[in-house]
Amino acid sequence: MMQIESIILYSIKQLNRERTIYSIYHLLNGKKSSQTIQDAHLFSLKKFFGIYEQLSRESFDEIYQAMVEKNWLINNGEQRYSLTTSGMTLLENNPLPQYINGWNFHQITSLFWERLSLLIQVVSNLAFCESRYIPIQKNIDVHNWLKSTLKDITVPRLELGPALYSELNKCFKTAKVIDPSLLVFRLTGFQQIGLTPLQVAAKLNLDIHNYQVGFTNILHYLIQKIMEEENQLKILPYLIDELIQDDELTLSSRKTQKLLLQGHSPDIIAKLRHLKLSTIEDHLVELALNAADFSIDTYVDRELQHEILEVSRQKASKQLKVIKEKIGAATYFQIRLVLAKHGDR
Amino acid sequence: MELEKVLKKHFGYQSFKTGQKEVITSILAGRDSLAMLPTGTGKSLCYQLPGIILEGQILIISPLLSLMQDQVEQFKRFGEKRVIALNSFLSAEERNRALHHLNQYKFIFISPEMMRVPYILRKLQELPIALFVVDEAHCISQWGFDFRPDYSKLGDIRKKLGNPLTLALTATATQKVREDIIASLDLEEIVKIESTIDRPNIGFYVKELIDYRDKQANILELVANLKKPGIIYFSSKKTAEQMANLLTEKGICQAMAYHGGLDQNTRILIQQQFIYGQLDVICATSAFGMGINKENIRFIIHYHMPMQIESYLQEIGRAGRDGDPSIAILLYSPGDEHLPIQLAENELPSEQQIDWLFKKITDEQLFKNGNISLDMKLMELGGFTEIQWRIIENFVKNSSLETANLKGLQWTINNFVKERLTIKKNNIYSMKKWIETNSCRRENILKYFDEVKTKEVNPCCDICGLQLNDYQAINHLTVPSAKTDVKNWNDYLSKILINGELRE
Ligand SMILES: Nc1ncnc2c1ncn2[C@@H]1O[C@H](COP(=O)(O)OP(=O)(O)O)[C@@H](O)[C@H]1O
Ligand SMILES: [Mg+2]
Ligand SMILES: [Zn+2]
Repeated sequence: MMQIESIILYSIKQLNRERTIYSIYHLLNGKKSSQTIQDAHLFSLKKFFGIYEQLSRESFDEIYQAMVEKNWLINNGEQRYSLTTSGMTLLENNPLPQYINGWNFHQITSLFWERLSLLIQVVSNLAFCESRYIPIQKNIDVHNWLKSTLKDITVPRLELGPALYSELNKCFKTAKVIDPSLLVFRLTGFQQIGLTPLQVAAKLNLDIHNYQVGFTNILHYLIQKIMEEENQLKILPYLIDELIQDDELTLSSRKTQKLLLQGHSPDIIAKLRHLKLSTIEDHLVELALNAADFSIDTYVDRELQHEILEVSRQKASKQLKVIKEKIGAATYFQIRLVLAKHGDR
Repeated sequence: MELEKVLKKHFGYQSFKTGQKEVITSILAGRDSLAMLPTGTGKSLCYQLPGIILEGQILIISPLLSLMQDQVEQFKRFGEKRVIALNSFLSAEERNRALHHLNQYKFIFISPEMMRVPYILRKLQELPIALFVVDEAHCISQWGFDFRPDYSKLGDIRKKLGNPLTLALTATATQKVREDIIASLDLEEIVKIESTIDRPNIGFYVKELIDYRDKQANILELVANLKKPGIIYFSSKKTAEQMANLLTEKGICQAMAYHGGLDQNTRILIQQQFIYGQLDVICATSAFGMGINKENIRFIIHYHMPMQIESYLQEIGRAGRDGDPSIAILLYSPGDEHLPIQLAENELPSEQQIDWLFKKITDEQLFKNGNISLDMKLMELGGFTEIQWRIIENFVKNSSLETANLKGLQWTINNFVKERLTIKKNNIYSMKKWIETNSCRRENILKYFDEVKTKEVNPCCDICGLQLNDYQAINHLTVPSAKTDVKNWNDYLSKILINGELRE
């Protein structure tokens, strides 16, 4: 049986008919609505939050309907389901992915993977003294991260490959019930191009959903392991650098950042922390200034960002009022965010 | 001599390829130039090299995002870091960062629609532009097979930039299109460097089938026997996927599908796997191949009929860059022209759609605060595809205030659609005529581009007696030829991270 099915079985049991089956879909997708976030807490499903963002609604329907047909689930009407006895037995006999930690890591999982795969590709080509190749990752931030990381790492260039190999090996060795193939065959190196998710799934004879969940499971295992063994590892800790914390932030802003990462909106954070909304907004501006990976797109759409910058430049002014007069649609908060993020520093 | 030294020093090449030196010399003499050189002959070098010599920025207009990205990477591989591509791949933040420091870049790639953003144009006007390059210049002409309305405004933009020295590049343009390029860029005295479009090492073979359902079986047999690697082109994503699966399942070769429906990461991986020999065959839509430089492609098969001779020529031109014999095979069954005609129609908004749209917009909406507002919701409601909608938007945005009225605008759009459709249908018929011809295929293609066949090529085409056997793999029974893969993750990891030779 598939791991995604175990997860769905488990979630259904936890939901106890109090929510529709689609709340599970939103959970796996990591939907940032207060309902989904609350549900994750309320029903102890936090570790599955946002672990499968690529899952389409159609696939989800297919998966759970097949489970109904296999007689693991009963439909209780109004899109609510519960487990049959055989569903229950299956759940008891099939372990859930052990390391998956959606709540803590869903925000950083894909960035972690982009960093890891680019690092391996670059180090591999360094090891073979090859400088002409096409980087497999296109994200400029990840390229910049790698540039500064390579400067910081103290391991000599030619030893980087073997060192990275032994660090990864060390991490994987202690893992139980994990198959590193799911991750390793995706890697690109010198004259060896990594496989796509579908290709690895086919190679290992896995269903694609099983593969995707397993892949996330390994990434989360690796992140956790790196955090725990930071002191024994020389290279891998760079992969989580600044993803986990950022020293330039004030303590209070960092708390706000943490809550944002957990998916809370500024309004909710203000309530949770008993602070004024304007204070939280100040934190966001601080984040925009200091945290490179903080995106303001949720708060100001890109078109508007562009407009604000253009007016600021036209008028050669960073005065909020001047800009606001030109663009009625923008709030002062939005203008501050844009200037903090993109303006000259 | 000078130029050869620069070539060697900066690019590591021993000598120029056909046409390159003529184009570069003409540019360095300060003369506007139009170069028509076959795909893969290294047109990019015609602006890369002058860029090293000339002071000021080289601005390159390029129509396709993926192409631009490839070019930028090519630069970086030569160690040139001062390149930037201004396109929608960049986040707002990255774009602003780049626009702020434009003068630090030597080579600036930009898409035509970005050029029309007033703020960006203003930024460009501040630069000393040494060379204005229009890549894939046939997109300017509405007689071109790949007409892009945004491209037709380039003449205007060139003026706004102070008429910089200009280089127009294309691989495939008929006489008429070449004239159009010159006229719309408003170039007066232009140097034309045109080399033959003929690729003597590529043979033509058209295979007529009575029933289109025989195509799959035919491909399986062809691919099993032909020398690989190769590309099979399809007009439909689904058929491409099916064929790739079939080829792999039957153990004929390592094949993957490549089309616009795949995410960017997957596309990059598959393209690279093909380049590094991990795949033998790509089952592709026309989304594949732009900018890929693989020397040893032995065959190009067309499962469906291409939309026009120009794109056919571009697609088969990806074969045999190393100069070795290669074969272009086209499968044809009666009625095949219906699919391209349908595709051509789908690219354009229908008269009914346009009618519907104009009933929805009132005069008031149209001229609100001097501007024309077109609600995006109408796109979905009217069932417009993105391509169709872009055409509409383009007209609506550019209609001038004094002369435009709704009726007039609607008439203009309808007219445009009719004209485009006629041109496209004519292109399809020319293609069909070429397929059905009884005389040398090479000669006919040359004629289409106003060239005459001057020397005999052998093997030439099926009409001239070309035999497919000459393109077979010798030991085809022992393939698949793709690299055998490593089974164990640990071995794989050590293989890519540990260089055994250095270990010694
Ligand atoms: N003088 C040369 N000698 C050898 N290879 C070259 C030369 N000029 C260009 N190339 C190579 O030819 C390939 C095709 O170049 P490109 O500019 O993309 O072609 P085009 O735009 O004409 O299709 C590239 O891999 C390029 O590096
Ligand atoms: Mg080119
Ligand atoms: Zn012939």
